[in-house]
Amino acid sequence: MPAAYPLPSDLSPVTVANTASLLRIIALALISGAAIASRLFAVINFESIIHEFDPWFNYRATKVLASQGFYEFWNWFDPTAWYPLGRVVGGTIYPGLMATSGVIYNLLHALNLPVDIRNICVLLAPGFSALTAWATYMFTKEMKDESAGLLAAAFIGIVPGYISRSVAGSYDNEAIAIFLLMFTFFAWIKALKQGSAFWGTIAAVFYFYMVAAWGGYAFITNMIPLHALVLLLMGRFTGRLYVAYSSWYAIGTLSSMQVPFVGFQPVRTSEHMAALGVFGLLQIVAFGQLVRAHVSSKQFQELLFATVISLGLIGFFGIVGLTYKGWIAPWTGRFYSLWDTGYAKKYIPIIASVSEHQPTAWPSFFMDLHFLIFLFPAGVVMCFRTLRDEHIFVIIYAVVASYFAGVMVRLMLTLTPVVCVSAAVALSTLMDTYLDPAEPSVEDDKSESSTTPTGTTSTSRPATPASSKKAKKNKEKEKEKEASASAGGVLSELVSNVTSSAAKSATTAERGVFGMDTRLVVLLNSLGLLLFFVVHCTWVTSNAYSSPSVVLSSTSSDGGKNLIDDFREAYHWLRQNTAEDAVVMSWWDYGYQIAGMADRPTLVDNNTWNNTHIATVGKAMSSPEDIAYPILRKHDVSYVLIIFGGLIGYSGDDINKFLWMVRIAQGVWPDEIQEPNYFNRGEYRVDSEASPAMRDSLMYKMSYYRFAELFGGQQPVDRVRGQHVPIQGPTLDYLEEAYTTENWIVRIYEVKKDDVLGRDLKIANAFNQGKKRKRTKPMSRRKAIGA
Amino acid sequence: MRLLNSALVTLLTLTTFSLASSSSVLVVLDPSLDRENYSIFFGGLEKRGYNLTFRAPKDTTPAITDYGVPNYEHVILFAPDTKSYAKDITPQSLVSLLSENTNLLIALSPKQTPLTSLAAEFSLIPPPPETPLISHHPARSEPQTTIPVTVSSSSPILTPGIPPVWFTGAPHALGSTPMLVPILRAPAESFAADSTSDADSDALVTASEKGGEGLWAGSQMGLVTGFQTNVNSRVVFAGGVKMFSDEYATKELPSGGSPGNALFVTDVAAWVFQEKLKLRIDAVDHHRVGESEAPKMYTTNDEIVYTAHISAYDTETSTWKPYSGIDDLQLEFTMLDPHIRTSLPPVPGSPGAYQVQFCAPDRHGVFKFVLNWKRKGYSYLESSTTVPVVPPRHDQYPRFLSAAWPYYAGAISTSAGFFLFAALWLAGDVKGERKKGSKVE
Repeated sequence: MPAAYPLPSDLSPVTVANTASLLRIIALALISGAAIASRLFAVINFESIIHEFDPWFNYRATKVLASQGFYEFWNWFDPTAWYPLGRVVGGTIYPGLMATSGVIYNLLHALNLPVDIRNICVLLAPGFSALTAWATYMFTKEMKDESAGLLAAAFIGIVPGYISRSVAGSYDNEAIAIFLLMFTFFAWIKALKQGSAFWGTIAAVFYFYMVAAWGGYAFITNMIPLHALVLLLMGRFTGRLYVAYSSWYAIGTLSSMQVPFVGFQPVRTSEHMAALGVFGLLQIVAFGQLVRAHVSSKQFQELLFATVISLGLIGFFGIVGLTYKGWIAPWTGRFYSLWDTGYAKKYIPIIASVSEHQPTAWPSFFMDLHFLIFLFPAGVVMCFRTLRDEHIFVIIYAVVASYFAGVMVRLMLTLTPVVCVSAAVALSTLMDTYLDPAEPSVEDDKSESSTTPTGTTSTSRPATPASSKKAKKNKEKEKEKEASASAGGVLSELVSNVTSSAAKSATTAERGVFGMDTRLVVLLNSLGLLLFFVVHCTWVTSNAYSSPSVVLSSTSSDGGKNLIDDFREAYHWLRQNTAEDAVVMSWWDYGYQIAGMADRPTLVDNNTWNNTHIATVGKAMSSPEDIAYPILRKHDVSYVLIIFGGLIGYSGDDINKFLWMVRIAQGVWPDEIQEPNYFNRGEYRVDSEASPAMRDSLMYKMSYYRFAELFGGQQPVDRVRGQHVPIQGPTLDYLEEAYTTENWIVRIYEVKKDDVLGRDLKIANAFNQGKKRKRTKPMSRRKAIGA
Repeated sequence: MRLLNSALVTLLTLTTFSLASSSSVLVVLDPSLDRENYSIFFGGLEKRGYNLTFRAPKDTTPAITDYGVPNYEHVILFAPDTKSYAKDITPQSLVSLLSENTNLLIALSPKQTPLTSLAAEFSLIPPPPETPLISHHPARSEPQTTIPVTVSSSSPILTPGIPPVWFTGAPHALGSTPMLVPILRAPAESFAADSTSDADSDALVTASEKGGEGLWAGSQMGLVTGFQTNVNSRVVFAGGVKMFSDEYATKELPSGGSPGNALFVTDVAAWVFQEKLKLRIDAVDHHRVGESEAPKMYTTNDEIVYTAHISAYDTETSTWKPYSGIDDLQLEFTMLDPHIRTSLPPVPGSPGAYQVQFCAPDRHGVFKFVLNWKRKGYSYLESSTTVPVVPPRHDQYPRFLSAAWPYYAGAISTSAGFFLFAALWLAGDVKGERKKGSKVE
């Protein structure tokens, strides 16, 4: 037996096993540490603060839960959101995240560890990322082996695609959802492998947790039935599948219906019908199997077959019919937009207006996954080579998630785990091949070729090394090699031929690796890739994904860091200087932040449940002052808050979002607001060429009010649009500037009260400025005589 | 800071209220008008406890306001012909006085003065300059610009039965603002013309043929018109200053008898200086039927009791007394639009209380109890109380529904069936189990 390098032979198998498991535990612990540590950039660079928009609501809700208990939280009606409609918070959220934090909070306090609820919220996502790494390890272990599991855990621990949603402070549903997703899948695979109702129940319980935590649970709801259906179609129906699926579906669905926000959706909406349908199909097939086992007549079997088919069809058309009847809600718009990327823009601009709902740009795949995206297809191919039931799951998951990730940026998150898993499978196979000290024995092979039962050397080359190695290798690996051979040489070469030398050796000589040099080349190369991966992940995490977006930072010319804290400045101003019940109107992006940081009622927020209400705000923003004013007064608006980046070049400001406001308002009031009016010959301009509708709109006026004064008579420049704004700025009659932050990012306007004399505010303003009023004549009070 | 300010303001208002018995009045009197000629009016005011301070329009002291805080509670502007004032009297400053709760009594004249343009802000439409009111009826020895005007008794401001009053000055047309309170209308046969002769009466005829457009004639013209601002301060524009004079107060009417001028101007002054028709909402409270405390939030379909306590100012005792005299008070329960609008009747037997009981709508949201009572002459009553109306709590729904019996029966029968099955399965013989096991293999 030729070996490339010697292995110690005096170790007992028990020692090897023990050492390996110890090493695995240490590796997993280190991976968890790395996963948590790399997510702390945000805390170190900025501070322990809640990020972005949605987390602010989750944080606020968690505070209610922690201070008032679960039942108060469940019955929480928030009168300050969606003023004056209010929001039934308990029934419109996924409480899993808050409940998790609440449990941790109470647990720590029961242990006399008085940890602040904010710190629990901030650090929840990094904590759960460690659990995700563990869940991915378990999942991948089911696919291949422990070493692949460790690789997958390491990948998911630091891959930017997942970090983007789970840095410290990013207190969002996704923070715990990915762990639940992976663990549910793991439990499902386990249940399927063992045909175990116990694991099926565990999958159901975690599915319930997932339903309680994230709206993306629909992914599981459709992934598992799809897997079951594919297995069924491939003729792989077994009792194990039946037990696993039935226990998962029955318990999972019943428990998911306990979440108030979900309620009867699992039996009433189209998104959940696939799971129900597959459940019914499995019952029919199982029944068919049972009957077939007991009945021998062939005709009867055919009859039975027809019955099964027709029952299935009846069930299918029943669901379709119920949908038409309105008993089952049709697909929602969000769902349609997954198939037709233009759908949302046409019909539901509010969904399309969210940047995370845009189709993914190609570079972001590399940005988020780095070299894993290249290993990903290889891993999928590996799955094809073995093709056990669980590998089919990974293949389906890969296909579905790749599509969704291409359609929507935010669904990159669901793709990331499967990329890590299959990349780990691919890389681990590569490592296995090149770390294995065994070398193919060329002479042996030639002499043995005649003895191999398969035939001549020239045609049966792939089979020969397999047989030669059979005696010396452990059996599991052997099986894989065999499978690879049967799956076709071309595919396996595609995977393993990382270097040209390896390719040559594979095509010209025997299968296997000779010598240390090729091994070192390949291994060092992959080690280098891994190294670059780590460097890339660290860089992306620290630079792109660790900004809280509540606090911005800029780098000055000498490399120093400037913090731009305008948002908190403005919210704090509102908190300190306005009446507690003063309603603040802003575009919905900032609703949660105003509620969380300024503690003031808002008209609309990031829970975009009422399109009309949002359109009302859009209309107020895009209308001239005199039309907007009655809307503001009707909704008791005291302050209007806008984001303006023109001074320091902050591009995510309201003028750039303005067209969405116009579009959404147009959806509800097509006669009053028309998008083309805001363009000047097809161009979106804010300078002197801006269209009249644009110049009169409240948003434009509020953005550029007194902007020119900053430039001391010079032509003012909007640094986001790169356009020259007119020196003569807009005037405001119905609002007055209340506060503008240091860098002008946030501007707050106060809505004037009715004039004391009941005059139109425009006239009152003209009077205050001493303008002469036109003389009027008494109105005609009667019709002309004889006319 | 803001808190401090508001505290200061309340302190100030408190002090002004405590001085209400001797309210301070600034009279800006044109030097051409002799104070002695108005002694009946001014003397009447002083007798009623007002503290009058006189000042010419061009004087700089005493100032109307110091640092934006008004020094007087009421200001009388008897300078109808004055074209230039001291710096502190401008139309703008007078409007800001009103918003600071100072009341104004302003006399106009046919001349174009800053006050004419001020009147336009109150939706009074003054005629072109130098067009006084003229009437040839009734036949009398006085010039045609000196007119006895019959006082309509419909206005709640005036004491009923005031005899006609002498008037000289300019009329004004009334705009559409509902805040205007007409006190004295021009006689039907009067008109405004730009000369005292009848030479231009043709213009009137043409105007009337055009459907009345631009017609400064008839009883739609106002002579003395009040205006109540959003903050309940009051202002009165009188078309001429002479009606306040001693001369007109004693001049005999063509029909014989003494004129009503003295009584009329007293009534007008009493209204404008907030002696009359001054109401306020002392308190509103609301609670569920059977409770007494206002809850933090209501549940949909709750029975709500809403009570408003209203009192009126009594000049004689200078106190607020409960007032049950409003019979058309309405309550709205509003979220964007009124979901409930109901009358709020006075409670018999408890003065000043108005109460209604109603059922909250089956709609959750942030509702407002809105009281909005605005009647000409009276102080506006406005009140808005915000309460959230929430859906029932999780344990407030009915526990057992008769409609759900099929489901209960299903659940119970399934449980029983499972129990039975398990019992039979466990009690079954070993042979059967073996058979089954072999079959599976």
